[in-house]
Amino acid sequence: MSLLRRVGAGVMVLWGAATLAFISLLLIPGDPVSTLLGPATMASPEVRAQIAADYGFDRPVAVRYLDYLGTVVTGDLGSSYQLQRPVGLLIADQLGPTVQLALAAMVTAVVIAVISAVTTAGRARPVRAAAGAWELVAVSLPSYWLGILLLTAFSFQLRIFPVIGAQDLAALVLPALTLALPIAGVLAQVLREGLEAALAQPFAVTARARGLSQFAVRLRHALRHAAASLATLTGWLVGSLLGGAVLVETVFGRSGIGALTLQAVGNKDMPVVMGVVLLSALVFVVISNVVDLLHTAIDPRVRA
Amino acid sequence: MHVPRRYKAALLAVFLVAACGQTPQTSQSPAEGAQQAAPVKGGSLTFAADTEPVSFDAHVSSQDITGAIVRNVLDSLITLDATGKFHPWLAESWEAAPDLKSYTFKLRKDVVFHDGTPFDAEAVKVNFDRIHDPATKSQLASSLLGPYTGTKVVDPHRVTVEFAQPFAPFLQAASTAYLGFYSPKTIAADSAAIGSGGPAAVGTGPFKFAEYTKGQQAVFARNDAYNWAPKTAVHTGAAYLDKLTVRFLPEASVRVGSLTSKQIDVAAAVPPANVKTVEGNADLTVLAADYPGGNYSIYLNTSKEPLNDERVRKAIQRGIDIDTNINALYFGQFKRAWSPLAPTTPGYNAALENSWKFDQAESNRLLDEAGWTTKDAEGYRTKNGKRLVVDWPLLPAQYVRDSRDVLGQAFQADLKKIGVEIVRPQADIGTYLERVYGGKADMADYSWSRAEPDVLWLLLNGASKPQEGGQNATFLDDPDLTKWTNEGRATLDEAVRKDVYGKVQQRAIDLAVTIPIYTQSQVLGLGKSVKGLTLDANAWPLFYDVWLGKAQ
Repeated sequence: MSLLRRVGAGVMVLWGAATLAFISLLLIPGDPVSTLLGPATMASPEVRAQIAADYGFDRPVAVRYLDYLGTVVTGDLGSSYQLQRPVGLLIADQLGPTVQLALAAMVTAVVIAVISAVTTAGRARPVRAAAGAWELVAVSLPSYWLGILLLTAFSFQLRIFPVIGAQDLAALVLPALTLALPIAGVLAQVLREGLEAALAQPFAVTARARGLSQFAVRLRHALRHAAASLATLTGWLVGSLLGGAVLVETVFGRSGIGALTLQAVGNKDMPVVMGVVLLSALVFVVISNVVDLLHTAIDPRVRA
Repeated sequence: MHVPRRYKAALLAVFLVAACGQTPQTSQSPAEGAQQAAPVKGGSLTFAADTEPVSFDAHVSSQDITGAIVRNVLDSLITLDATGKFHPWLAESWEAAPDLKSYTFKLRKDVVFHDGTPFDAEAVKVNFDRIHDPATKSQLASSLLGPYTGTKVVDPHRVTVEFAQPFAPFLQAASTAYLGFYSPKTIAADSAAIGSGGPAAVGTGPFKFAEYTKGQQAVFARNDAYNWAPKTAVHTGAAYLDKLTVRFLPEASVRVGSLTSKQIDVAAAVPPANVKTVEGNADLTVLAADYPGGNYSIYLNTSKEPLNDERVRKAIQRGIDIDTNINALYFGQFKRAWSPLAPTTPGYNAALENSWKFDQAESNRLLDEAGWTTKDAEGYRTKNGKRLVVDWPLLPAQYVRDSRDVLGQAFQADLKKIGVEIVRPQADIGTYLERVYGGKADMADYSWSRAEPDVLWLLLNGASKPQEGGQNATFLDDPDLTKWTNEGRATLDEAVRKDVYGKVQQRAIDLAVTIPIYTQSQVLGLGKSVKGLTLDANAWPLFYDVWLGKAQ
């Protein structure tokens, strides 16, 4: 696929995401001003009129939609209703901690998954059953509960990692682990299946026959085969990281896109929600293109 | 992160009122016989809050947490003590016009904002005018100013605040952080930035707003120049703490865990189920106070069937077992309410206590009398073939606090026994507000904290229409309730106020337009090394007098 087509498809996805987000926010019933103000307010009719006028709730939907698309094209995401700050700035401020968390979680998940899969693939039944069991548990754990469990054990009881001082590395360990474990469970399952399929291939036997150790075969040859199936999961992985971050950031009281999104959705802060939707769509577009390219690198057959 | 306990001298945390539901104490003399340790300067304290302000602008926000946090940064004209008396703060003295249509304040001359701007009459005018301006989009402060018409600068240190009608509740309003003062320079430069917190929020308070990390914490640094503490404070001069960090930890178990593992010094909103754990910890203690203002109550919509019939309303009022359910759900930490007004509010009518007990036999009699005599297959009462159904919408999950949804289920079960069906549809907040404030629902439940009985005007006056920013979800314009609540806000005569507000509370119960449920309580958990922490008249923690000593 040419670069131009890729970019074109990406733009279409972004436009679709922006439109869907706009429509779904429109579908929220009730008066938008009341929704914005929430239950405990004493806003006078004058204040309500001012809000409606400021945010253009009194204008026709089509005009608002075109207006919105127009500003987005120019790179302006608008200003948050609640926080009274430009959405672009808000997101930029919160992006750092989330990226930090997501990267740490991804690395942790991949390391755990590789170790688990490489050491257990094709082994005796009890070993595989044990591996399968932990993976199943990890996949089914609600990250909310897991986070509190880890906090209770390692922060409140053993006092190894702090809840406070969420800036430093020590405070990153528990949130990253919380986010990583369920993902590691899925990755390990997929990876082990791929490894087992690869180990059953004639090339594995050949490699062994040439005197390579069992372990070397796994690491140098089988893993590469299995990794191809893993790469296709990347889209799901990014989704899990972004979705999981919402809960993890809340439990640990960390700043980040997740916490921002949660607050924005709760307060029906439309410009912020739209900004986050666009950002997520952009991340997906970029990631899926990168994965496509990676795929060609990992698997020579695709190149043809 | 915990502050090392460098200082030895300290005995008994005498300022701590451990008993739950204690009246807020603004200043307490040292306990008899206890050796009082001298407060020490320095150190850093971390306070974990349960909610994060949407906006840090006290003039805009209606959130309690905003007022509680910016209290450290903003001073007020006057201060209110626990007994309902006002004392000087930024105003040395004040005088109300006989008709209560204007108040004149004589201001201190030595007060400066964090940016060096002097605090003067012009600053008062700029702030009040800003609150009143619809462009500010104030959600609470402008209503605290009531029928405000303007502020007159008499001389650089004397202002007159004027109103269209007599307005007695202004003094209490003027004591809150919502009517606190930002530097006129900040307001002129970029007033929208105040809401985002951080150094842009320039006040005259004992702490400067140093930095804000959204989703995580707000940090405050001591204002060394501070020398205008209110008369209700224990000491004068600058605050003791070097640094105050407000950490946002929405998850209750995380707050309590952080407290027991000493990662924080003070935790807000300790859940009733965890109070015993905190009390049982040798290093921790509990500081609690009831919120003043409107109790958590149910309001009955009198404008439509079936609750336009007083007998049906009374049947519901007497048909729910409040005591049993409150005790079961809140472990005795929250007090059962008898009046729409909380006991710590001036003008509370204690005569209502135990005057309308749980009595389902009475409920059944009233319902029979009202003509709901037949029963359908499911056991609910019917009249003319129509079932007795009461529509009581449930707030969306993120707004439900104190497990009130569970409490509602218990009441639902109670009322089923007398043949009343309660339906609790849960939808988004827009739909909820449209149903409740549009008068389409039969019942609504909420509380409204404020240390001023004028809250009864808001809750029960006929002119306090929910469609116009009011909170009277009874949709009743009772001549007596309206008259008395109007009289109460037009006088500062304590005897008259006590009389009219007492009658309002009695009448609201007699008409069964409201069912008071419980008094909300501020329950703080804190380390014993935290000394001098008190709760103000609004049951908010005050950090100005706080110092860190030895845990004992």
